[in-house]
Amino acid sequence: MRYFRHPGFLIGVILLTLLLIVAVAAPWIAPMSPLETDLANTLAPPSAAHLLGTDQFGRDVLSRLIWGTRISLQVAVAVMALSLSLGMVIGAVAGFFGGWVERVTVSVIDILLAFPGFLLALALVAARGSSLESVIIAVALAFTPRVAAVMRAVVLTIKPRTYVEASRAIGMGTMRLLFLHVVPNSLPPVIVVATVSAATAILAEAGLSFLGLGVQPPAPTWGNVIADGQSFLASNPLISLSAGICIAVMVVALNLLGDGLRDTLDPQMRRSSGRVL
Amino acid sequence: MPNKAMPNLHPVAPAAPVAPATAPRPVALELRDLTTVFPGDDGPVTVIDGVSLAVRAGGTLAVVGESGSGKSMTFLSALGLVAAPGRVRRGEVRIDGADILHQPPERLRRLRGAVISMIFQDPLTALNPVFTIGEQIVEVLRAHQRIGRAAARARAIELLARVQIPDPARRVDDYPHQLSGGQRQRVLIAMAIALSPKILIADEPTTALDVTVQAQILDLLADLQAETGMALVLITHDLGLVARYADDVAVMYAGRLVETGSMEEVFTKPRHPYTRALFRSIPRLDGPVDEELPAIEGQPPNVARLPPGCAFEPRCTVGRGRADCCTRRPLPLAGDRSGHRSACFHEDLPDRKEAIR
Amino acid sequence: MDRLLRQLSQLAITVFGIVTVTFFLVRMIPGDPAQYMLGDYATEEALATLRAQLGLDQPVYVQYGLYVLRAVTGDFGSSVVTGRPALEEILFSLPDSAILAFAGLAVAVAIGIPLGILTAERQGSWSDMLIMIVALFGISFPVFWLGLASVLLFSQELKWFPALGASSGGGFLTHLHHLVLPAGVLGISVAAYITRLTRSAMLEVLGQDCIRVARAMGVPERRVVWRLALKNALVPILAIVGVTFAWSLGSAILIEVVFSRPGIGSMILKAVSARDYQLVQAGVLVLAVAVVLVNSLLDLAYGLVDPRLSTR
Repeated sequence: MRYFRHPGFLIGVILLTLLLIVAVAAPWIAPMSPLETDLANTLAPPSAAHLLGTDQFGRDVLSRLIWGTRISLQVAVAVMALSLSLGMVIGAVAGFFGGWVERVTVSVIDILLAFPGFLLALALVAARGSSLESVIIAVALAFTPRVAAVMRAVVLTIKPRTYVEASRAIGMGTMRLLFLHVVPNSLPPVIVVATVSAATAILAEAGLSFLGLGVQPPAPTWGNVIADGQSFLASNPLISLSAGICIAVMVVALNLLGDGLRDTLDPQMRRSSGRVL
Repeated sequence: MPNKAMPNLHPVAPAAPVAPATAPRPVALELRDLTTVFPGDDGPVTVIDGVSLAVRAGGTLAVVGESGSGKSMTFLSALGLVAAPGRVRRGEVRIDGADILHQPPERLRRLRGAVISMIFQDPLTALNPVFTIGEQIVEVLRAHQRIGRAAARARAIELLARVQIPDPARRVDDYPHQLSGGQRQRVLIAMAIALSPKILIADEPTTALDVTVQAQILDLLADLQAETGMALVLITHDLGLVARYADDVAVMYAGRLVETGSMEEVFTKPRHPYTRALFRSIPRLDGPVDEELPAIEGQPPNVARLPPGCAFEPRCTVGRGRADCCTRRPLPLAGDRSGHRSACFHEDLPDRKEAIR
Repeated sequence: MDRLLRQLSQLAITVFGIVTVTFFLVRMIPGDPAQYMLGDYATEEALATLRAQLGLDQPVYVQYGLYVLRAVTGDFGSSVVTGRPALEEILFSLPDSAILAFAGLAVAVAIGIPLGILTAERQGSWSDMLIMIVALFGISFPVFWLGLASVLLFSQELKWFPALGASSGGGFLTHLHHLVLPAGVLGISVAAYITRLTRSAMLEVLGQDCIRVARAMGVPERRVVWRLALKNALVPILAIVGVTFAWSLGSAILIEVVFSRPGIGSMILKAVSARDYQLVQAGVLVLAVAVVLVNSLLDLAYGLVDPRLSTR
């Protein structure tokens, strides 16, 4: 695999694999329950029992971070899957059919792109109420126009290629053509965008949680842990700092993965991806 | 790598005396054993393999070969313009007898454009779209000379006039997209000759242009050459142009030279099977000017996976399956007293036996 | 002139689209604003009166029509909580947000663009690798975390800057002193992003034919990069700045919260929790229109940079 010659990609894959293991094995490797409070032992400094100390309810910070990996990965995967499938269909339809369908779709995409992505997600979460599902839906919807825009651009470059023309000439149905030729061939650049969107989804989830609009406490999300620690920054900085480092590690891993894919799959794409929210 | 153990025995291919009446002019540019490598998946790939060439002042050398044969890369290497991660592994580039490659980049930079210039295939992309053509010519002048803005601009207008751009005082402020393809190539020529270089390398200067414009551009180059006595290297795959403008010919295949000699020699008595395959469709010198290279059977070579012997052997109708000497190792150029050299085992040349040994 | 007209009509269509989207976006927020305003013990009659007053008893399409008509005249309704016109509330918060966003963007541009050019110029060198690793971390830490960490370091440990991002009184210098941390954090976070994209844009230009020609003509590398290539890369770089502007407005919301700074972000956040839907609607609308306006200005600037766009 030529990807694995890319050092960044390799590091990204290793980090993500480790994080995946942590997420799956959370019940076994977390020293205690992420929700179990111990009011006799609040805001404890790091010790053998609590490697990263406890928060204001006496919950073990390390355990909360370990369980938080699960939620962050869930958000990343779900947002990626959702925005990818929606955005690809919309973008492919727009690019492939052309005409007024394309014009309308493009102007709607342009309008949605004018909204700062985080603001759009925030407004959507506010509209649906705060829960894991609505965070995922809100962030995914905020991303969909971006994926759709990339997908359309890709389809436009693929459309005139000979194998598409040839398939058309032998009378292949449009939908069949779309799924047999156009979608598979557009995957590489779209996957790059999706990786970046997964990275940004994690940041967006953390931001929403931090504002109190994300997954509701006491759920152990990294954003919630940072918000919990904010009031005790002076006395117990480790709570917020460690959660932020967890977020950064996962986002770095995803960005490395995206950079690696982009460099290997399509050097021409360097400019069109990047952070999109 | 195939050629590693065997240094080129005949590094210099002196140009054949074109006009025996006059004394031979001095060699302006000489490449010796120039070798360029790029990192590949399985170790370095040699894209230019021991190329040795010479051009005399006032002479025209045509370099021909299929695309991907290393014609352009040879001269990019000679100018120190190989893009990283590629690099020149060995060899010399001599101008007036002194090697220019192994010196500080700043000194090489001063030679480029001033002593040795290059124009490229596609005039549509070769000019910078966001600067006027005047600004671009001035940029070249000021890269090499201490010259005021007004004086540089006046000189730019002069140069545009010299390459026959109509109304140069007005066009100097045009942007490239306001000019036709032929005019853009003229502007590039103006930039290239701005400092009266001794050597001009023209890399397929007319491939992107239509036929009538092609002739105009090449006639312009020929005029400029006659006027200044510069050496011209014409990289092309158009044999008609070679016949009309070249004094000497070098044929490249898979990053190696396979045949060199005077134009008459190579055209009338092509020796290497590859050269002969190239010429098969134009037997006469007065053939049509716009003749393109005929297709040769088989796949063009992949320089990352060359056979250990002659690179042309898999497509060769002469040597294929007949002699295992073709597949053992590549052969250096060898030739007779006329300066006509080629790299094929299937020739009975005086110094061939020695070379094989 | 033609270009300007085309752009203005494009702008009008986009703004109309934004108005439409915000209308339906906010209609999705659950809860009855009338109920919220009058409290749990309001009579059904009072609720009905208020709904009629707010136009909530009308069918949605009528509400939409009225909304658009009012929006054209600059009337975005009034805050359900304070009763003041939404536009007034926004204009009150706008300066603080604008100062933060533009100061942050200025820092980001001043750091990001030169670093992006420098790393492209020295692609593959140690300095390039180091800067790109720092930039990777810069885009990977949540901006609010960077804010918290900077408060910890610069206000609590070093005591260089106040932890509060705004001062109630004091002169220009006091305000500036309070602005340094929030704008700096926002700027550095966005700078990481700009650095990466500028480097890519420059590398793309540096691989173009016209750059190879300049090198073949002996133009010094410094001028090749900082003049010939840079002017070519300016259009993509301006586009990057446009994209980043939307991004920094989103980040500014979080920064305002971290540093307890007043601004549109804080205002929208309060309005969301108070279900002050007209205010949310107006706030989101104003920010989106700001993004569109900034990008239109940048579009005009493209014409100044690239002659192919202006002479057509």
